Amino acid sequence: MDSRCPITAGKDNEGVVEMTVNIVEDGVAEAVKANFPDAVSEAKTQRRGRVVITVQKDRVVDVALLLKERLGFDYVTSVSGVDYPNRNEFEVVYHIWSISRKILIALKTTVSKDDPRLQSLISVWDAVNYHERETHEMFGIDFIGHPNLTRFLLPEDWDKSPPFRKDFKLPTEPR
Amino acid sequence: MAAVGFLGLFLDFLFSMYFLELLLKVVVFPGLMFISLFAMVVIWFERKFLARIHLRIGPLHVGPMMGLFQPIADFLKVLGKEIIVPSNAHRTMYNLAPILVVTISGMGLAFIPFGPSPSVMSIKNWVIYYTPFNLLLILMFFTIRPLIAIGAGWASNSKFSTIGALRAAFQLLAYEVPLLISIASVIMLAGSFDLIQIVQSQSKVWFIILQPIGFLVFFVAMMAELGRRPFDLPHAEQEIVFGWPTEYTGIQFMCVMLAEYIDLCVGSLLITALFLGGWLGPAFIPPIAWFLLKSLIVTVVIIMGRGVFPRFRMDQLLDLGWTVLIPLALIQVLVVLALAQFAPWILPNVTLGG
Amino acid sequence: MKVRWGPQHPVSGQWSFFLDVDADVVVGMEPDVGYTHRGIEKVAENRTYIQDVPIVERACIFDAGNFVFGYVEAVEELMGIEVPERAKFIRVIVGEMSRIASHLYWLCLMSIAVGLETMLMWPVNDRELFLDLLEMLTGIRLTYSYFIPGGVRYDLPAGFREETERRMDYFERRLKDYYKMLYLNRTFQMRTKDVGVLKQADAIRMSVVGPNLRGSGVKIDVRKDEPYAAYDQIDFTVPTESEGDTYARSLVRFHEMEQSIFIIREALKKIPSGQIRVNVSPSVPKGEVYSRVESARGELGYYIVSDGGNKPYRLKMSAPSFRSLLSLPQIMRGVPMADVPTLYMSLDLIPLDVDR
Repeated sequence: MDSRCPITAGKDNEGVVEMTVNIVEDGVAEAVKANFPDAVSEAKTQRRGRVVITVQKDRVVDVALLLKERLGFDYVTSVSGVDYPNRNEFEVVYHIWSISRKILIALKTTVSKDDPRLQSLISVWDAVNYHERETHEMFGIDFIGHPNLTRFLLPEDWDKSPPFRKDFKLPTEPR
Repeated sequence: MAAVGFLGLFLDFLFSMYFLELLLKVVVFPGLMFISLFAMVVIWFERKFLARIHLRIGPLHVGPMMGLFQPIADFLKVLGKEIIVPSNAHRTMYNLAPILVVTISGMGLAFIPFGPSPSVMSIKNWVIYYTPFNLLLILMFFTIRPLIAIGAGWASNSKFSTIGALRAAFQLLAYEVPLLISIASVIMLAGSFDLIQIVQSQSKVWFIILQPIGFLVFFVAMMAELGRRPFDLPHAEQEIVFGWPTEYTGIQFMCVMLAEYIDLCVGSLLITALFLGGWLGPAFIPPIAWFLLKSLIVTVVIIMGRGVFPRFRMDQLLDLGWTVLIPLALIQVLVVLALAQFAPWILPNVTLGG
Repeated sequence: MKVRWGPQHPVSGQWSFFLDVDADVVVGMEPDVGYTHRGIEKVAENRTYIQDVPIVERACIFDAGNFVFGYVEAVEELMGIEVPERAKFIRVIVGEMSRIASHLYWLCLMSIAVGLETMLMWPVNDRELFLDLLEMLTGIRLTYSYFIPGGVRYDLPAGFREETERRMDYFERRLKDYYKMLYLNRTFQMRTKDVGVLKQADAIRMSVVGPNLRGSGVKIDVRKDEPYAAYDQIDFTVPTESEGDTYARSLVRFHEMEQSIFIIREALKKIPSGQIRVNVSPSVPKGEVYSRVESARGELGYYIVSDGGNKPYRLKMSAPSFRSLLSLPQIMRGVPMADVPTLYMSLDLIPLDVDR
């Protein structure tokens, strides 16, 4: 059975749906939702080992602290921004791995494009340092509290718009 | 000659056997031609030998076979490069340093006697200039070398050169001490500063057998003085580009390289003369050939170090020099003194106390 | 004194460090990256999923196999398909060969950092063993674009198994030579033991990956934590050392090469026959996925957001060198300048996958 498929239909017993129950993942999702009922808009298990949580941007630090200190999510794997121009917002996704539970949690939060500022999670996890710096550079999202939001990957004389936004077209793109 | 006065004296000197012989020695052997040939052969050999250690082939195409003319090709290429002087460099010292470094390294060669052979002016041996203190003078020139490296690194006015000069200073000056102490025990054993005398004292048994600790200390200290792997910190390519001669190009770079190989030559000759019996050996090969053969073997062993050892770090290098080599050298000196006092029959030529 | 250990330097690679040097001691360090930034993530948004395979591979050429591995795992998870067993085993074989080739290249870089040229020449020569095998399999030596969503492109050619066995035997003997030449070399031990110690807590806090983490005593390996492809059917060990110094990290990589040989042999024994590829539709259903694989340098993560079309909406690569980079300024503080290349190489940071 592939670890990625949450539901497999039983072949011999028609009508019986055999479901793998992801107890730990559901527990994590429930714990976050229980602690921050109004800030968390979505908390669900995507598959085994993957939990997705969407949080409002002003409570993201508190949720992060809960994840780190009480639920054991201590190992940052990625921070990425996603541009949704049709909703006029950026989504910032923090992927954190828990070494003890072997679960990856995707902590998502959205900021509006007109005011792309977010509290930096560097006070919770040191390792988001370079990731947030890169996201700031590529999307233009300002992480409040980050000690060093300077040029990282782009050339020093880059003066055009942040390149990973959808409205920045590469010269080789079809128009 | 019909001329009189100073012109007459000068012309007499010019056409005398002494001058012709001196010219022969300075230009051919052991002077310019010998050292150029030595440098080229050793460079070629080093590249081929290290290539074999690395499981590759080395220079292959230039020359009749096995890339023999590769050093000549490199020499011609280097001659064709432009000499660049950095704008903030101290021009006088910068341009003087390569000349000085070749000269001072080459001065060592002026005093080394190359084995008994009939000669008009020299006492017994083929030497450019004979003095009974030739070992002392060779050491004197050895000791001046670090100063030029420091001067060149400072004059280049570049960060990597400065750091390289600092490292050269630390390393070369620190390793002078074990070098000199181990030579002191040889001098005590032979009873003279004269290399001819030292070699002759080894006619019964070589000093490497009488003074193994001294040999070891001298060999390691000499490798450090020559700047060969594992002691090539002043030239550490991987960290400070090329160390103190980073900014040199063209013929100045070639001078620095040549000086390194002259040092290698002088160093190997010294090791051979002091510990391996110099030109002594069975008579089916002339003594000069023995001398050169033994020092070539020493050169090969020194080169081998480059294929086997990583580089030492500065503090590990100084640690080795001060905590290991100096005490060993001092122990060697004490052993010699003790033997002189209590068992003088072992020592061939002792003129100590008593 | 501020020194720019910069791109014009024999050993620095394609980036530079701004070092703050006091006499011979480094008191501060700031990495200057971005020289090879190609905007792979942005370019990937304008290519179809299969066109992205060569794009993603160029993020790190030395370990091309594993970089594409993560990508195809992510795309297949989005599509909800499962590749045939034979393809899984072939992917494991190619991934491990790629890992060995990358570690051999690392060995070259580490040796010239400490100044031993012999151990530069030997591994780069032995890397040819694997590049030849990959050429026999895929036609290309370095950037083979061999995995595609749905499987692999070609089947194992005739004679591949025997040739691989022959080369594995030879390589095992060579590994013994490497051990004697480098790891038992007293001078190398002096240069690397107790140098650049990364403590376990710091390693986790700064989310260092791969052999850097395992050298500090943390036993995390994606192949064991979240097995993918055929790794759950092969019983291999994950080498770990506890000291956290440069020697420990080097030893971990050495033992990983030995384990990779074991994995390749096991995979060749257990590989079933069958299809190597399933047909996939060009468009991928809407969704998001985060897939993790263990590349030679550490854990590699792909975050792909799909909007239902045939091009990814967002492709984010969480590259191993980018994550390990955070520990470099810390372990470089207070070391003599001679240790700068040693520490930098011991973390196996390749500027290509820092910049993407």
